[in-house]
Amino acid sequence: MSSQAELDKVIRSEYEAGFTTLVESDTLPPGLNEDIIRVISAKKEEPEWMLEWRLEAYRHWQEMPEPGWAHLNYPPVDYNSISYYSAPKSMEDRPQSLDEVDPELLETYKKLGIPLHEQEMLAGVAVDMVFDSVSVATTFKAKLAEAGVIFCSISEAIREHPELVRKYLGTVVPKGDNFFAGLNSAVFTDGSFVYIPKGVRCPMELSTYFRINEANTGQFERTLIIADEGSYVSYLEGCTAPQRDENQLHAAVVELVALPGAEIKYSTVQNWYPGDENGKGGIFNFVTKRGVAHDNAKISWTQVETGSAITWKYPSVVLRGDNSVGEFYSVALTRHAQQADTGTKMIHLGKNTKSTIVSKGISAGRSNNSYRGLVRMGPRAENARNFTQCDSLLLGDTCGAHTFPYIESKHPSATIEHEATTSKVSDDQLFLCRQRGIDPEKAISMIVNGFCKEVFKELPMEFAVEAGKLLEVSLEGAVG
Amino acid sequence: MSESLPEDLKRQALARAGQAPAEDGALSTLRRDSLAALQSADFPGRKSERWKYTSLHPLSDGHLQHAAQGAAPARLPVLSDYRIVMVNGHLDESQTRLPEGVSLRREAERLDGLSNPFALLNGAALNDAISLEVAPNTEVAEPLHVLMFAASDTPAHCHTRLEVLVNRGSRLTLIEHYEGHGAALTNAVTAIETRDNAQLTHYRLQSEAADSLHIGTLLFQQTGVSRIDSYQLMAGNRLRRNEVIALLDKSGAELAMNGIFVARGRTHVDNQLCVEHRVPDCTSNQIYRGLAGEKGKATLNGRIHIHRGASGTLAELSNKNLLLNPGAEINTKPELEIYNDDVKCAHGATVGQLDAAQQFYLRSRGIPAADAKRMLGLGFINELVMALPDENVAEWVRPWLAAELGQRPEAGEEAA
Repeated sequence: MSSQAELDKVIRSEYEAGFTTLVESDTLPPGLNEDIIRVISAKKEEPEWMLEWRLEAYRHWQEMPEPGWAHLNYPPVDYNSISYYSAPKSMEDRPQSLDEVDPELLETYKKLGIPLHEQEMLAGVAVDMVFDSVSVATTFKAKLAEAGVIFCSISEAIREHPELVRKYLGTVVPKGDNFFAGLNSAVFTDGSFVYIPKGVRCPMELSTYFRINEANTGQFERTLIIADEGSYVSYLEGCTAPQRDENQLHAAVVELVALPGAEIKYSTVQNWYPGDENGKGGIFNFVTKRGVAHDNAKISWTQVETGSAITWKYPSVVLRGDNSVGEFYSVALTRHAQQADTGTKMIHLGKNTKSTIVSKGISAGRSNNSYRGLVRMGPRAENARNFTQCDSLLLGDTCGAHTFPYIESKHPSATIEHEATTSKVSDDQLFLCRQRGIDPEKAISMIVNGFCKEVFKELPMEFAVEAGKLLEVSLEGAVG
Repeated sequence: MSESLPEDLKRQALARAGQAPAEDGALSTLRRDSLAALQSADFPGRKSERWKYTSLHPLSDGHLQHAAQGAAPARLPVLSDYRIVMVNGHLDESQTRLPEGVSLRREAERLDGLSNPFALLNGAALNDAISLEVAPNTEVAEPLHVLMFAASDTPAHCHTRLEVLVNRGSRLTLIEHYEGHGAALTNAVTAIETRDNAQLTHYRLQSEAADSLHIGTLLFQQTGVSRIDSYQLMAGNRLRRNEVIALLDKSGAELAMNGIFVARGRTHVDNQLCVEHRVPDCTSNQIYRGLAGEKGKATLNGRIHIHRGASGTLAELSNKNLLLNPGAEINTKPELEIYNDDVKCAHGATVGQLDAAQQFYLRSRGIPAADAKRMLGLGFINELVMALPDENVAEWVRPWLAAELGQRPEAGEEAA
């Protein structure tokens, strides 16, 4: 059956179900059922196998209970009150100029030193900012194409490179992996696809920021990065500027495949709207991120998490191949009523595998910040090695900092070391700074920056500078 | 059988509790309250987070259906002149010798702080209990050895209950000692309270034979400015599960817990530690060392919970583990849950193997491989053994540990 005929059939079936104008309309009614998934798939002009995959994920998801083990407290999410597809806002619906944007947001942009036209883009102002980006993006694309790198949206990849997508999608995070990954598998509408051919070192750092063909960041993002044998790629996700989004629930899935000898470096700065002082209106961010490292491959996750009301996120590495390496560097800052339950999993399966975990948690206000990690040495993980350090810094006596490290070893030659400390900003350090005329707020921010240095040095340079600034801004007013 | 194991165990437990004599002044209140709590409690299944690494499958042999009836051997270990002996959960009065200042009553009442289903079953089905009280301002010079013996040829169980109150200004050394053999399950509950200026040195020796089972709950409650030094030594057996809960309820209280656990052959050890800092300015320090060999499986979950307002807390946990060979398994999870900034907390955990260079050094000096391994294993835990303050206990511990660390038949040959 041709795909056109298939599409027609799907459209007809929608009609029978009563959604007369669905295909024409830009936003689906709230609710989730198989018909909605069919419409999403049709809108994305997906092949039949993709629709089947989504439906299987959806059927499985319906049987799954929502996980309750995380150290998080949030009202139950009504999955039927969410609209699972909406096209980008039209120009008329958007703020017409920066004057109409929340002044608080603009203040933050100014502090972060974001250029005016980027401020407009971030705030979703209806300006034709495409000029700039298009020219940047065009030079980008030419350079990437020369190297043979594929970098496009996941929807485009499903259409243009189905053989690659079909081979790898769901191999790292299966569609029934967990509740939120299951939901994502059924309804994802956006995300990136990257393929680096054998032996190619990607000529530039790839960033979602420049992938302008899908302007608005999706609610259910799905990213798939494949680094073929001996290749290298560094990928940046998010940006330091606070992003407003009308969707409260975010459930993203990121899959990384590092084939033998490849290296993937994945850096994230997450600064979704954290809600007001009581956490009202903030984003719920439930993310499944995982990579598989084959022989001699390396996967490195670096994250700076300062946004979202709820963060549920455990970027993991399955060290499948011998001599593979996994790294996780994280700074998580929570304030007001934010709650973060984040960490990593390092699953050592191959021989001589190595992993390093450095996690820095900073909590202020009435927030709760948990590190949850798993280090597992399988029965074949000869000479495997792990080092974990997770430190927490508490600012004030109303916040919470927690550590839940799971350590499992089934091989005697594997070595695991874990250490964690919790403390406050030392009075001595604070005194030293103040004695030299540095005001308390600045002093605290310096000390916190020092606390996070180990992680920041893993970030790409510009990102690291921005992250430092972001932390400074986020800490404002957090110190009493 | 359509019933799942947890449901089946609960049914057996309730049936067992129903058989306890209804009218018995000293224990009836505890029995009634525990039974009520047990009725709404669930036995853990495989998905239960706190039982992630321990399966209750060995209990499917029906241990909860029969009471242990085996006989105690004529010679029981003697670690002190003063002692209390319980056989299969019943006090053997003929062997009881109490030091001056310590009184014994056969009753039990504590329920709060004990919420796991086995501790509730213990309360609901209890036949006998020991409640000790040290009179105020009394220094008990000699240690008190409480020996709990359990034996049965067929799957069976017994409940032991020990409640201790160390009064204001008193000092006590308590040796809580579990011995036994055969398919007997000891379901033990120990609850110890210390008042102001009390000092307790506590030993918990668990050296039942490898074919027996033990599920224990130990509760410390420091209601006064007091100090507890606890030394916990345990060998793995078919199923060993220890839940230790320490409640630091008075500012200035200090707690030190040291533990050694060894899982060899096909044995299993699971430690669940929880230290609750509920008031400011308390100190807790925990050091645990674990070894697993052959098909042994050892688990430690060490939780430190610092409540809001508990400023000035110092809390530390260190857990180092050795895996002796492939096939053995160690799982450890040191947890911190902190709701206050003015605290100093740290935990560390390691899992590794005997150092190859050290083994080579010993072997190059003519020491056989097996001896070298045993010596290095002992060296790994010697820090804790050296710290044992009571010489009688240390003398008992050394040969016991040497035997535990000694050469074992290859994995799989260990008879159950």
